[in-house]
Amino acid sequence: MTGAVAAVEIDGVTKRFGEVVAVDNVDLAIDDGEFFALLGPSGCGKTTTLRMIAGLDLPTEGSLRIFGEEVGMAPPDLRPVNTVFQAYALFPHMTVRQNIEFGLRMRRVKDPELSQRVAEATGMVRLSGMEDRRPDQLSGGQQQRVALARALVNQPKVLLLDEPLGALDLKLRQEMQQELKALQRTVGITFVFVTHDQEEALAMSERIGVMSEGRLLQVGTPREIYERPASRFVADFIGRTNLLEATVESAGTVRLANGARIEAETSLPAGSEVSVSLRPERARLHPRGTADAEGSSLEGEVRDITYLGHAVVYEVAVGPMSVEVRVEGETGRPFGSGDDVTISWDHGAAAVVAD
Amino acid sequence: MQPANRTSESTPASGEKAAAQAQRRQGMLLASPGALYLLIFFVAPLALISVYSFATRTSTGRTSLSGWNVESYRAIGDDVIVGIIGRSAWLATLTTALCLAVGYPFAYYLATRPRHVRAILLVLVMIPFWTNGLVRVFAIRFLLGSNGPASALSENLGFGTFRILFTPTAVTIGMVYSFLTFMVLPLYVSLERMDWSLTEAARDLYASGSKAFWKVTLPLTKSGIVAGSVLVFVPSFGSYVVPDILGGAKTLLIGSYIARQFRDARNYPLGAALSVLLIVAMLVAVALNQRSGSGAEGGDRPRRRRRGRARAEPEPAAVS
Repeated sequence: MTGAVAAVEIDGVTKRFGEVVAVDNVDLAIDDGEFFALLGPSGCGKTTTLRMIAGLDLPTEGSLRIFGEEVGMAPPDLRPVNTVFQAYALFPHMTVRQNIEFGLRMRRVKDPELSQRVAEATGMVRLSGMEDRRPDQLSGGQQQRVALARALVNQPKVLLLDEPLGALDLKLRQEMQQELKALQRTVGITFVFVTHDQEEALAMSERIGVMSEGRLLQVGTPREIYERPASRFVADFIGRTNLLEATVESAGTVRLANGARIEAETSLPAGSEVSVSLRPERARLHPRGTADAEGSSLEGEVRDITYLGHAVVYEVAVGPMSVEVRVEGETGRPFGSGDDVTISWDHGAAAVVAD
Repeated sequence: MQPANRTSESTPASGEKAAAQAQRRQGMLLASPGALYLLIFFVAPLALISVYSFATRTSTGRTSLSGWNVESYRAIGDDVIVGIIGRSAWLATLTTALCLAVGYPFAYYLATRPRHVRAILLVLVMIPFWTNGLVRVFAIRFLLGSNGPASALSENLGFGTFRILFTPTAVTIGMVYSFLTFMVLPLYVSLERMDWSLTEAARDLYASGSKAFWKVTLPLTKSGIVAGSVLVFVPSFGSYVVPDILGGAKTLLIGSYIARQFRDARNYPLGAALSVLLIVAMLVAVALNQRSGSGAEGGDRPRRRRRGRARAEPEPAAVS
């Protein structure tokens, strides 16, 4: 991708609503053809960022380019992007067909191209035969697809999706996740979607940008974000994790709050206050004294057990700390409350994150 | 357990019926004072008017309640009366159009303010509404009079004296002022209910600001436009006070003409027939309003906000 023009390039963009800073000096480049997720808790600025790309909000500062063209202050109708709105925002006084052809009509596309493109888009989202219905005669999933067709029929350079699956129930949401991914591969358009659901972001996107309080904290592939979180917030927000307070001793070792010294890569200077992020499923549990020599280990006592069927979650007290260990496909004798145990993990399984 | 279950199974139906009956009785009891009031002061006079409209005016100006006929209705076809009705309809149409032209931008402005500002502005809109209408019309008469401030301003600007009072223009100004609230409130209600993400969607789909308004906002506030228009048209068609005070004797409208039949001309049957005509016309207007309000085009029915996460909405199997 190096050398190619980014689909969306956000350069030092800040958005203020009065005193409130919704988006704080964000830099971000989204590649052509990428499925990109903006992930964060509500109020983190992800939707505002999306709306600025769409032109529905204008940045207070900074520059915003779409395929190299500066559009920061351009009105939404002059941008080569389309949006799938959170609640779909289908026009209730129009039929499915009228909804889908709206954008083409505004750009004065005439028949036969008009009907052909509408038919294509309708077929693509499997809504053929429903063209004459009104939005309120459709189910949530169908409305969602009308919203998709209404945006994609315009062949935008970038498709923006604001919590596109938020209003669907779980089963439908999982189906639509697959459908959206397949759709993106078919049309090859850059998708930028906003979600607060970390699983959805991990499952669907090629890259994720994690936002919090208006700042873009980390951008990376789902694996990078999960395995190598750049900060305590990212580690905590994406999946479950144990965050153990520690101090850096040298480039390869940190000392935990209970005094235990463990191996972990870090580039932070000695003496830095950090956290060690250890995913519950990356840790192993052994009866005290039987741990393998490789990797790192901690000694503790089982305090609580949660049985989940496919897995067992043990809460282990390690001095003043509490460490969650998730054992899947348990073999051998299960541990009981009060058992003395050793927690071990492979070298590299724990990540040092700055506070 | 078993027998008890069986009895409770048989009773619900009859118990339900009895409860429904009791509820109906209670409802009637609650409604009866209002119903009685309407019966005495609304239904009875209306019936009386209808009866009078078929009566005969004797040569002495009294009303004979025998010899029923439709002469009075036939008299409505008279050129003078048709002219008056035409003028009234024209004035009502003009008033409605002007109220819409003034009221829509105003209601739009109101509805797009922050919530707390809206509440204050709405009270400001309502204040004149709570003031005596007659007082307000006399105030306008003073404003528009040749000794009033409007005239003084015009004179100072070198446009000469201002002769507008007792002209149709003065009547129109007064009517628009009197009925504007009736237009603004329904428009406000439907604009306030407007889902603005729809206009954003239109902008996103390459509509300019004005295109988005004409294609989305306006059609979706249609029911407010229709309701406001009916609410303005109906009373301005039959209005009597405003044309009388601001129009003087020059612009005779149907409201004043009816009053005159009862007061001066003592032609009760004609006055009654015209009243019936007016009522029927208004009922038709209201019925049309109802139809368009509940029809498929009623875009601004309260929309379900689709933001809840946990909405179980199974997709029909036939689709996928």
